[in-house]
Order: sequence, then C-alpha cells, then structure tokens
Amino acid sequence: MIKALLWAEAYKLMKQSRTWYAIAAVFVLELIVLISAYYRGAAVIDILLNNLKESFYFEGDLLNGNLLIYLILNSLWFNFPLILMLVISGMITDEYKDGTLQTVMLQPVQKKWFILSKYIVATVFTVLMVLVLALSAFLFSYLIFGKSDLIVFIGKLNFFNAVEAETRLILAFLNGCISMIFFSLASLTFGVIFRDTLKTWIVSVLFLIVSNLLLKFDFKWELINKLFYAKLNDTWQYFFQYEIPWNIILRNNLLLVGYIVGFSAIGVVIFNKKDIG
Amino acid sequence: MIISGSRLSKSFGHSIVLKEVNIECKAAEICGLLGVNGAGKTTLFKILLGLLTPDSGEIHCSSKGVKALGGIIEKPALYEYLSARENLKVFARIQGASSDKKDLDQYLENVGLETERKDAVRNYSTGMKQRLGIAIAMLNNPEVLILDEPFSGLDPMGIVQLRDLILDLAKNKGLAIIISSHIVEEIRLVSDRVYVINNGQIVKSGVTAEIIGQATLQHYLCAEHLKASTVLKEYQHTFLTETGALIEIGIEEMPRLMKRLAGEGIYLTSCTPRIDMYQLFRTAQ
Repeated sequence: MIKALLWAEAYKLMKQSRTWYAIAAVFVLELIVLISAYYRGAAVIDILLNNLKESFYFEGDLLNGNLLIYLILNSLWFNFPLILMLVISGMITDEYKDGTLQTVMLQPVQKKWFILSKYIVATVFTVLMVLVLALSAFLFSYLIFGKSDLIVFIGKLNFFNAVEAETRLILAFLNGCISMIFFSLASLTFGVIFRDTLKTWIVSVLFLIVSNLLLKFDFKWELINKLFYAKLNDTWQYFFQYEIPWNIILRNNLLLVGYIVGFSAIGVVIFNKKDIG
Repeated sequence: MIISGSRLSKSFGHSIVLKEVNIECKAAEICGLLGVNGAGKTTLFKILLGLLTPDSGEIHCSSKGVKALGGIIEKPALYEYLSARENLKVFARIQGASSDKKDLDQYLENVGLETERKDAVRNYSTGMKQRLGIAIAMLNNPEVLILDEPFSGLDPMGIVQLRDLILDLAKNKGLAIIISSHIVEEIRLVSDRVYVINNGQIVKSGVTAEIIGQATLQHYLCAEHLKASTVLKEYQHTFLTETGALIEIGIEEMPRLMKRLAGEGIYLTSCTPRIDMYQLFRTAQ
C-alpha cells in the first residue's frame, strides 16, 4: 500500500501548478542574482551583499563562479525554505480545504500510511529541490563567471582554491538539505495541526522568521546553544572554516535529524488521532 | 442486513447531534434518510463510513470485500487539477484496485461519463462531479453505497440521470444504498424504505410510500370545470387558480374522490400530493 500511496503523493504534487511555480520562483531568485551580477558587475554584488558584509570579505576577482554559488547559498537560505514550506504544507491543507482527505479516507486506506507517505514524499521533494538549486547554481555560475578561488570571512579570512571551494560548496548544499527537510516537514506538521491553509502559512512563516532570529541569538546557557534546533540550521557554514569541525557537524546533524523525526512523529500521531469529519 | 448501525450516539461538546440512532439496509435495497438541515444526517453517514467515531453504539457490516462501503459526503471532493481518469487512477491505486486504462474507462462508462475528456475536473458540472464521485465510491466493488445529499446542486436533467444511476446500482447490481436528502420528493422516488431523522433522533421509519403517505394531508388537483363539482364541496378546499384547487384529503381517500369526480364528468389533468412537513418530521406518537 505504501508504494501506491507514495506514487499518488508524488503524482499529485507534480501535477499541481503551484509546485512548478515554486520551482520557477527558485530559478527566478537564482537568476536575478546571477543576471544582476553579469550586467552591473561588482557594484550590484556590493549592494546585494550589504547585509552580509560583516560576515564576508572579498578580494581579487569578485565575480568568480564559486563566490556566486556561495552568495546564492547565503541569499536563498531564507527564501528557499519559505517557498518549500508553502508548497509542502499545501500537500495536507489542500486536502482538508478541498475535502479530498475525506474522499481518501472513504477508501480502504490506513491513515498512518497515508500521512507517512506525505512526509516521505515531502522529504524526497525537498532533497530534489536542493539538488536542482545546487546543480543550477553550479551550472549557471561556472558558465557565466568561470571557476576561481573562494575567499570568505568567518571569524577570520579563509582562502580556498577552486577545487577545494567546489567540494566545500557541494558539502554545504548536501548539509543544507537536512535544514531544508526540517523546515519542510515542520510545515507539514503545522498543516496537520491547523488544517487551514492561511493559518498554516502564517505559522510556518512565523516559525521560519523566529528560527532565523534565534539563530543569531546567544543564549545564556551553553547547552541551549548546542542543542536548540534554531542553532543547528547554519551547520553548513562550518564547511567554510579552514579546518572542518566534523564532530560538530555530525553532532548537529544528528540532533537536527532527531528534531525532524520528532516533528514528523507529532504530525503522524495527531493525524491518526483526529477524526477527519 | 448487509449494514446496520445500532444505538449510535454522538455529541460535539455539549451539543448532542445523534441520539440512539438505529438504521439498517439490505442488499438491492435503497434506504432514504430524510431530515431537515442540521438534523444529523451527515454526522450519521460519517459515522457509518468510519470518518467519525461514535460516542456509543455499534456498526455491523457483513460485507467481506476489500472495500465494504463506498460513499460521498456532502459533495464529491475531487482533485480539481486532475482529469476524471487521473482522479480515478489515483484513488484506484491507493486502494489496490486495477488502474488499467480499460478498467478505468469502464468505471467512467458505468456512471455515464465520457472517456475521451482529458481536461481537469474543475471544468465539470456538479452533476458530472457527482457521477465521478460515485465512480470513485464504486472502486473495488463495495456492497454498500452511502450517498449524502447527492441531488443537491443538480439541474433537473442531472437529477433524473443520477436517480436512474442509483436505481440501476441497487436494482440491477444488488447494492445496498443509503441515501440522504432534505428533498422529500427525491427520497419518495428512489427509496424502498425511509428513516426520518429530526434533532438527531429517528422519529419514523418504514416503507417510503406509507411514511410519506401518512404525512400527505392535501392534494392539489387540476381539471376543467372543477369548480362545477358537487363532490368537491364535501371536502375542505381552496381554489388557487380557475382550474386548480387544494383539497384537504389523505392519500388513501384519493382514488375514491377521483372515481367520484369522473362520475361527474370531471377528469383530472394532474394530481399532486402536498406533504405536511410538520407532520412528517414530527415524532411518532
């Protein structure tokens, strides 16, 4: 049954125009960054990086592909989960709104498998979206701006040659997948709890904003700084430290996976317990 | 009985929606559930279909198939962005029914829908959506069909087509069908037995013709020269038009009156029973 449910969820997701608008929106955001850089040069990059100047230091050939990918990685880290959350939460809120959930539950389908299939498809969709983002970022950046060394500022200036920069950027994207899955599945859980599309969107966006604010917030207790979910979402930045702290990355990712499982479990349990009618 | 619910009760907060409801239906039978809006029809159907858990009471269904019950609640909820066949395909696959094009087309044909249409069902009329909803409910061949207000929102042609489909499913395919409506006439035309629900309680049940007949206390008669009838003067009546009068007469007396009018040379061109809704929904004494 689960195989058929997974197929059905993927089929419905890909048949909805909203999904394709979301994919297009990601490309548009990505292309805006690249096209602006291409036509208006370093001045625009400076404007775009205005908010990030405290974290970044650029020297030499500003418009190299690796820098652009790093820039896309940074600038999309808020917009991207936002788009994902809107699409993913719709997987359940639309079913409530349109009453199709009722039609599904009138068939011999088990509630737990039905909701579980949504969580699995949401995870796969998120990974695919990050891969599409990464591939297109690499493709367009290297095509337009070529490959060169990457210089970043994270506490201190770090220089990476082109090959190493590429590896680190790939690892950052892969690691970022976990964060994106966290936000996607959290929005699905919100959809299960709130049922209503608009309420779910508001809560999801609020959750994302609060999470981003808390990311910069320094808690008094070190344990919270280490374990709190919001603090785990910029783990990908560790790949741009000169010595990659693998232990911290592993710990943070395991914790975040724990949060993902926890959020999903809450959604599955609530969905199973609540009446559909 | 293929399906029966006994002593079903349900409350939402402090509001009691169903009180000790008993209902049953056998194969090839159409049972009507009549009630005004808010009487508890939809809640009862949701309980029978397993969407709501009753506070108390039991449901027994003797069907042994993969899908015991098929149903539509309130309106057919479909994936509006998918075509009719795509909708059927999704619902067929998730329940392990055949999703071959040939089989899906057969389901569409069974409910009188075109197999060639490829556009999204958002373009379909309410009647067509109802038909597709029934096709989905029929996947995996359930022995019981539960239809909540299937006629609402349909045009007269749609009502006739859906009524014929429901009768065909029960009488030729042997399905037990429980159908709800607040339109008495529709229930009268399709159902063998009827349950009347009011304030969450079944207030009457029995053969449809008898139950509705008991609440038929007036008839509207039309005939040329009706005003000239002396027989008519024996009954309390009001002329609403030159040739049409509302007569205070029960269903059992009507054949005699028609005969007597014919004796006076007055032949009815129409005879419409008027159902007293207060009588119908009133608790049986």
